[in-house]
Amino acid sequence: MTLIPLSAVPRPGTLLRGGPLRSALAALATLTALTAQAPEAAADRRPVAFTNARIVTVSGAVIERGTLVVKNGAIDALGADVAPPAGARLVDASGCTILPGLVSAWSRAGLGGGPARAEDRPAGRRQGRGAQPPPMPSSGGGSAQNKAATKVVDGLYAKQPVFGDLLRAGVTTLGLVPGGSGFNGLGAVVRPDGKTLDQLVVRDDATVVLAMARDAATKKLFKETFDKAKKLVEERKKPPEPAPAAEAKPDAAKAEPAKDGKSEPPKGDAPPTPNPQPNPNPNPTPTPNPTPTPKPEGQGQGQGPATSAPAPAKKPEAPKDPNLEVVADLLEGKRKALLLVDSAADLLHWQHAVGTELTFPRTVVVSRHDPTSGTIDGVLDQVKALAAPVLLPPALSTQPRSQVLVHPARALHEAGIEVGFLLGDSPAGVRTLFVRLAELIRTGLPADVALRGVTLVPAKALGVATKKGSLEVGKDADLLLFRGDPLAGAAELHSVWLQGREVPLQ
Amino acid sequence: MRSLPLLAIALWLSTPELAAQNRGRRGGPPPGAEAPPPAAEPAPAKTDAPAKPKRYQAIVGGDVYLGTGARLAGATVLLADDKIEAVGHNLDLPEGTVRHDAKGKTVCPGFVAVLGTGMGAPRSAPFVDGVNPFDPEIKQGLAAGVTSFLAGSPGGGAMPTGGNAVVKLAYGSVAEMVLQEDSVVGMTVPLSLADREKFTETVQKAREYLLALDDFPKKKAADPNAKEPAMPQGGDKVVAILRGKARLWVSVGSSSFNPFGGGGGRRGGGGSKANDTDGIRQALELSRLLGKGVVLQKPTSAWLVPDEIAATGSMAILSPRDRLPADPSDPDRTGTNLASAAILAAAGVPVAVTCPQGLMAGVGVGTGGIMGQDLNTPHLDAAFAVRGGLDNRKALRTITLDAARMIGAEHRIGSLEPGKDADVLILDGDPLHYATFVTTAFVNGKVVYEKDREPLYNHITR
Repeated sequence: MTLIPLSAVPRPGTLLRGGPLRSALAALATLTALTAQAPEAAADRRPVAFTNARIVTVSGAVIERGTLVVKNGAIDALGADVAPPAGARLVDASGCTILPGLVSAWSRAGLGGGPARAEDRPAGRRQGRGAQPPPMPSSGGGSAQNKAATKVVDGLYAKQPVFGDLLRAGVTTLGLVPGGSGFNGLGAVVRPDGKTLDQLVVRDDATVVLAMARDAATKKLFKETFDKAKKLVEERKKPPEPAPAAEAKPDAAKAEPAKDGKSEPPKGDAPPTPNPQPNPNPNPTPTPNPTPTPKPEGQGQGQGPATSAPAPAKKPEAPKDPNLEVVADLLEGKRKALLLVDSAADLLHWQHAVGTELTFPRTVVVSRHDPTSGTIDGVLDQVKALAAPVLLPPALSTQPRSQVLVHPARALHEAGIEVGFLLGDSPAGVRTLFVRLAELIRTGLPADVALRGVTLVPAKALGVATKKGSLEVGKDADLLLFRGDPLAGAAELHSVWLQGREVPLQ
Repeated sequence: MRSLPLLAIALWLSTPELAAQNRGRRGGPPPGAEAPPPAAEPAPAKTDAPAKPKRYQAIVGGDVYLGTGARLAGATVLLADDKIEAVGHNLDLPEGTVRHDAKGKTVCPGFVAVLGTGMGAPRSAPFVDGVNPFDPEIKQGLAAGVTSFLAGSPGGGAMPTGGNAVVKLAYGSVAEMVLQEDSVVGMTVPLSLADREKFTETVQKAREYLLALDDFPKKKAADPNAKEPAMPQGGDKVVAILRGKARLWVSVGSSSFNPFGGGGGRRGGGGSKANDTDGIRQALELSRLLGKGVVLQKPTSAWLVPDEIAATGSMAILSPRDRLPADPSDPDRTGTNLASAAILAAAGVPVAVTCPQGLMAGVGVGTGGIMGQDLNTPHLDAAFAVRGGLDNRKALRTITLDAARMIGAEHRIGSLEPGKDADVLILDGDPLHYATFVTTAFVNGKVVYEKDREPLYNHITR
């Protein structure tokens, strides 16, 4: 029986406490030891059985004392009466709690420029009396764009320590989102142990990211784009005409914004699947330009006649706006959206812009509690009307200009709305997550809701719930092993397992 | 279902402001399109579609100040949805009416601030897309009794400019927060000779344009190819004034009453000019040229020429707390004093009062104001006018109906009259008493502020 040495590996903090030279030497020695160990561990292909563990499955009941078997990177069996298979590597998890890996559905980690929005404020700082009010944005706006087909991974640099740091803090699935307001682009699902873009990106078009902002430009963009997309959906429903008149071509080219054929959406490459699987070949096309928005006009104007001249043999299709195609896909239910709505005021403006009837698969994201624009629990009826789960910061908020606490997550949960939580971009923030969840639980949120909110709910938001977010047979073995109950104060994250492999915590 | 005896209403039905009732409900015709009160327009019989039943509320038994100067003791204000249905004694309340007891309290229209900032309104257009209907300042404004104010810039310069909106403190509703846009345009006098000529010419062209527009349907009938007259270049604001869609505010002297611009002439409540009679006379000249009364922004010497102002139908915005002493050795330095509002009102000039504009505070409800130079106590600014001799009964008009007239919104707000918006305050005392608090505020028929429930003044009892 192989025992994982729970306390054998010194923690970095203890190293630094010694003299500078000595600790540096010690660190070097540890590192050497670890690098020597790593290939060996990677080569270990035996099944792993965690025995005597308290298993929080999230999707089902908590197994107070049971065994969890991992085989080929997936959960092979779990339960109170499961026996470890022969030849398995045994991990005695007495006194330990196993949780599914954390899923961060809304992250800007590694995308540069610091956190794009305020969701990453230090934990526990509430917007109360004395807090600096956010600067009043101009009501004209102007930055809103339809970039729905732009992939966030196109601007991503893979070799960044933040992904590994997040993984070691417990985040096993990371949803990266493009910033901005309006239709920001396509969010990605990232496996945070990758060294290259190929390894890192599981899916580069997992979500369509929409960000509401309280300005005229964003509201106009949403209204007009959805109107156009609705028309496009109608057109798609029509049966294709047998022989579109070739004579109509020049007119059509004039009517639609001119554009060269190269900027057609790579739709065939990544067909949106209702039940998305991790894409083995995720089509990464890193470009030096981080936001290669296909330009709807201008670029092709000079080439317009040239490209149409040799084309009469082929049936000329009206040029498609890839961004609009994505929005139409969304309205048809072929994609799912993350819709950023940061405050009650923003939600009312969203409804004012697009109405209350518009539906599409979505998860609402509230990146910060904003008492000066109304926390989201102030408009419960409107949130319910959205018919979508809501991801919130794992924190209490206050009434405006007061210290009176409010509990938006609990209010939403009690109104029957599924709630999840945002983990933020920084590994340090994730390490204090369970303390913050404990505060939410102490103030009335059921513990199972809190745990589901950092695992299964965000996994559903990213469309990866078939593989991630809970401990079920057949799902990926993304596990967090805590010594003690993570929701009790003294628990410690002992190890992180990503698809059945232990992540070195150094 | 409209069998309500409106007996009591007949008592004051003669006020001209009434004609504007029975306008479209919210979301109906653009409110800015309404001309100032035309003569008696017969209320059209409502061709009611099978709409959803109205929600009735009654504020019962209070001492009701209508905002017009009249007062009905122990009367009832009946609200239907977002409008005032009836005011009077012994009203028959429809079934299901929600009653709000106001016995021993006073009831009055929501206060109108002629110019404000913050309170959920963006600083510039587009207004409706930038409002924050959950701004905590909205509650503070409501606690002060303010239910509407002009947000944005009142304009200024040699030609009329602007960019403002009448904003209502409709907490929790985006669409209801903006009542109308651009109902005020502003100019600054004195004008240079060239500017005066240019303005005269623009007014002339605008008049010709309007006449041509009136004739156009006839022309079109005769000649289907007739071209529609074109708006004169740069004349849209003047056309709006001539059509009665916008009020012209004239800033006399170099400093304008503008919290964002203005040369910074006013400091801590002082006036900018010792004597601006010449400027006032030029403003009145503009008024005669346009054939419309103008609004004088904080004129210093208006009290010297009240009859001239009244003769043009012009109005004045004052801050009774602005003082400037006269200088006996300088005949041009006439100063201003507490009695200005009373002197103007006695001559028949409608007066609206506002707070002194502090150096730091602007005109909002922020707590950065110096010595109350903010909108937290509009009733006290009116009370200062009373101290200067203004008739106590008329004084409430300076922050309700007459203030609404300054911003061109008197057809919707400013008084408790049937058909107007249900913006109502329940107060725990005389509206102009310094100890009076708002206990309940309604905007568009919704309770948006209750003193007992908001952590602003709920700790103050007596």
